[in-house]
Amino acid sequence: MIRDITKVRNIGISAHIDSGKTTLTERILFYTKRIHAIHDVKGKDGVGATMDSMDLEKERGITITSAATYCQWLGHEINIIDTPGHVDFTVEVERSLRVLDGAILVLCAVGGVQSQSITVDTQMKRYGVPCIAFVNKCDRNGANPLRVTEQLRSKLGHNAVALQLPIGLEHSFRGVVDVLSMTAYTFEGDFGEEVRQIDIPAEMKAEAQRQREKVIDAASLFSDELTEAILEEREISNDLIIEALRTGTLARKITPVLMGSAYKNKGIQILLDAVTRYLPAPCDVDNQAVDLDNNNAPVKLSGNPDEPIVSLAFKLEDGLYGQLTYIRVYQGTVAKGATVVNSRTGRKIKIGRVVRMHADQMEDIDSIPAGYIGALFGIECASGDTFASQEVNYAMTAMHVPEPVISLAIIPKDNKSQINMSKALNRFTKEDPTFRTKVDDETSETIIEGMGELHLEIYVERMRREYGCEVTTGTPRVAYRETITQRADFNYTHKKQTGGSGQYGRVAGYIEPFPDGDFEFVNEIRGGVIPTQFIPACEKGFKSAIVKGPLLEFPITGIRAVINDGAFHSVDSSDMAFQAAAAGAFREVFGKAKPVIHEPIMKVAVETPSDFHGAVMGLLNQRRGMILGAQDEGLFSVIESQVPLAEMFGFSTVLRSATQGQAQFTMEFAQYRQVPQSVAEELTAKAAKQKRSAA
Amino acid sequence: MPVAIQRSHGLARVYLLRERYIEMLKKDLIIKNPLSQGDDGGEDLLVPGGFGAVLSRAGVGKTALVVQIALTSMLRNKNVLHISLNDPIDKVTLWYRDLFGKLAQRYHVEFVEQLWQDILRRRLIMTFRVMGFSVPKLEERLSDMVNQGIFSPAVIVIDGFDFAKAELQQLEDLKSLARSFGASAWFTVPTHRDELLSTDGLPLAFSAAAGLFDIAYELKAVGSDVHISILKRVSGVPSGRALRLDPETLLITEET
Repeated sequence: MIRDITKVRNIGISAHIDSGKTTLTERILFYTKRIHAIHDVKGKDGVGATMDSMDLEKERGITITSAATYCQWLGHEINIIDTPGHVDFTVEVERSLRVLDGAILVLCAVGGVQSQSITVDTQMKRYGVPCIAFVNKCDRNGANPLRVTEQLRSKLGHNAVALQLPIGLEHSFRGVVDVLSMTAYTFEGDFGEEVRQIDIPAEMKAEAQRQREKVIDAASLFSDELTEAILEEREISNDLIIEALRTGTLARKITPVLMGSAYKNKGIQILLDAVTRYLPAPCDVDNQAVDLDNNNAPVKLSGNPDEPIVSLAFKLEDGLYGQLTYIRVYQGTVAKGATVVNSRTGRKIKIGRVVRMHADQMEDIDSIPAGYIGALFGIECASGDTFASQEVNYAMTAMHVPEPVISLAIIPKDNKSQINMSKALNRFTKEDPTFRTKVDDETSETIIEGMGELHLEIYVERMRREYGCEVTTGTPRVAYRETITQRADFNYTHKKQTGGSGQYGRVAGYIEPFPDGDFEFVNEIRGGVIPTQFIPACEKGFKSAIVKGPLLEFPITGIRAVINDGAFHSVDSSDMAFQAAAAGAFREVFGKAKPVIHEPIMKVAVETPSDFHGAVMGLLNQRRGMILGAQDEGLFSVIESQVPLAEMFGFSTVLRSATQGQAQFTMEFAQYRQVPQSVAEELTAKAAKQKRSAA
Repeated sequence: MPVAIQRSHGLARVYLLRERYIEMLKKDLIIKNPLSQGDDGGEDLLVPGGFGAVLSRAGVGKTALVVQIALTSMLRNKNVLHISLNDPIDKVTLWYRDLFGKLAQRYHVEFVEQLWQDILRRRLIMTFRVMGFSVPKLEERLSDMVNQGIFSPAVIVIDGFDFAKAELQQLEDLKSLARSFGASAWFTVPTHRDELLSTDGLPLAFSAAAGLFDIAYELKAVGSDVHISILKRVSGVPSGRALRLDPETLLITEET
């Protein structure tokens, strides 16, 4: 392990689905000699890429969970987190970004900046992760890396500068011209392992010189020395340009763009050089924690390995030998035998085995110092927990976790499956905060909730493969919500005197729309008309009433309940009586407040060959989709739309058959919106029918 | 009898009342909007097949002006097809969102989000790369949408059309395309500092095509203000009120 922190890079590889992230990672591992053979994602040898360690990943050719691995290049240690490309797994991407210092944004030379690239870029911005861009697939038909660089500027607002020019394109793509060193490189040998320096092709010399000037011009903003050198017309050294580019990249004010083809083994070694040159070392990044003993005040972490430990568990995996917890250490050193405290539970933990991961193989190490990523064995915790030394009570700030939008009932086929199902669900919910599970009170069915059809499908499949648990699934259910559109007053008395002690409580006030959150309770009681000790019971009563709405039995959200009057009885009033009064008041008033149903609307982006443009628009339109726009990119177009999730089931099959399998789409949650009247009536009628048949 | 009463059971009434309220909000915003013509703000400046142009130097506010023309049409329940030859969909969306937000704020409109969601369905953005744009392609796309009942534009906004390089025939084809779809069209026309003027006072790149246009506005930065003047107007097109562009918000305001 390299102990010089300036020589460490914790990086992620983020991109749109099918841009070739996993293939790129595979090549990086090969050139850094971590693996000795290359297996392609959907390769004929059936081995699959090294980073896709789950069977399912290999089969589907997608990366589901991010595996962490490390490698060495030019005396630098590079820790890589391979992140999933599908939007359903966004929380994985976000979790990885939280612990990374820099990232490679992989873009397809044909597809350019695609919808998922925009999502990933937004996430990078949120966590302030500096990045370099790699334009992959330069060997494909229609590849144009310079157009992609331009899209990085126009679509993502990056100050993108191409540090290279491609030598040939599409099937004649041979290598790249590095405009900093003004050298051309080709990649020879069976696996492109032999990097050969050649003269810049004569016809490209002028263009390369122009591009070099552009790069120097862009870099000069970040270095006074470079600006002076330009003004004084001195010779400009490469180191000076690299230093300026690095400063700009770290500040996220410039994005160096490199290009190549991972599949054809071209350009990867130079990309690795760029990772060590431009992406930050852990000591270049400021990390903050919150001090739980000091009202969550932010604390800057020093990154010093000798100070108290602060580390974050960002990913869990359940393996043969128990739970494997991936951690990033921000301060101090997590060593075998050390004692840390889980700041969420307050529980003390003694560190046992410390390992470093390489996809699904591991290597035992003694300690993980500040700035490094590693894994711990046998520790009980949840994803996102902070481990800190006993002398500090810090927590890393919480990550943004979206609410699930879809649910599915699952029924185990036999008793064995029943037992395994609970084991599997227990593990999955710990690993993935966007995957939730609950038992329906009425039907006693187990319900799983997640971020999309594929998300849930993958978990059902994993249950079968990893736990031998066969389940039958119900139809996916959309997570509707009920809310109100106007204020309505209530005045409700709960009175009961049928044997035993009586119950009495009166609550009066109003409910109104609360667009800024799910629920707010406001106490405006004056003069003790409801004694203070019963106020929490009132709140509890309202909260119990909003769990299931009367229209569809989905949660009620966006409501403010205000109580401003009431009455009590010195003997008969109790917590229970006020709870019942509040719940009764809510049931009574809800109908008066013009309730409506809201449904999740997804942002759907379909990339299709232009020939199928009309057909795709028709498909989206049939699904109550609102087409926001169509982007013509020459051979293909991107159609952006907002479609209710309820209409998106089975869309992939329909899209495939309508476009001869040539179109692909991504989908992510956009917002909740009121359902149209006709649909609302249908939903309510269906819910009522279900209720009747259940009774 | 109003529809609201015919379907007065349960939620139906709630929904229709809400719809009616949104219509009132729209009308309110149209009347207050200085771009509106006529007493009730309901008149259109251009007839189907009519062309309007907004000329100015870069960065003065051409896009802001055409987006406001489009927003006014959307508030009048007219479908707008916004074709951008330079900017991606996200950026165009931002223009609309931003200017609508400012407009709603200036005229103190309530329920901005509901109103926005309501008019949003009246807009469709298409982006082409300048080189990839052609009239037959646009016609194919439009026919696709109109025939399937997806979207039928009443107003087409074309932002980024290259007047310097385009041939007159292309504009003539566009005009007949607009006429056949029953839509009027607005163009942004970039002008340059050193650009020569033709005898009729119009920039040279535009003057060849000027005959196809019914109205042409020019935006000119005067001190810290942006004046909107009419460069060309054929008879029958209402002249409207004297307007300027607020350089801070880029909203159109009446000349004081």
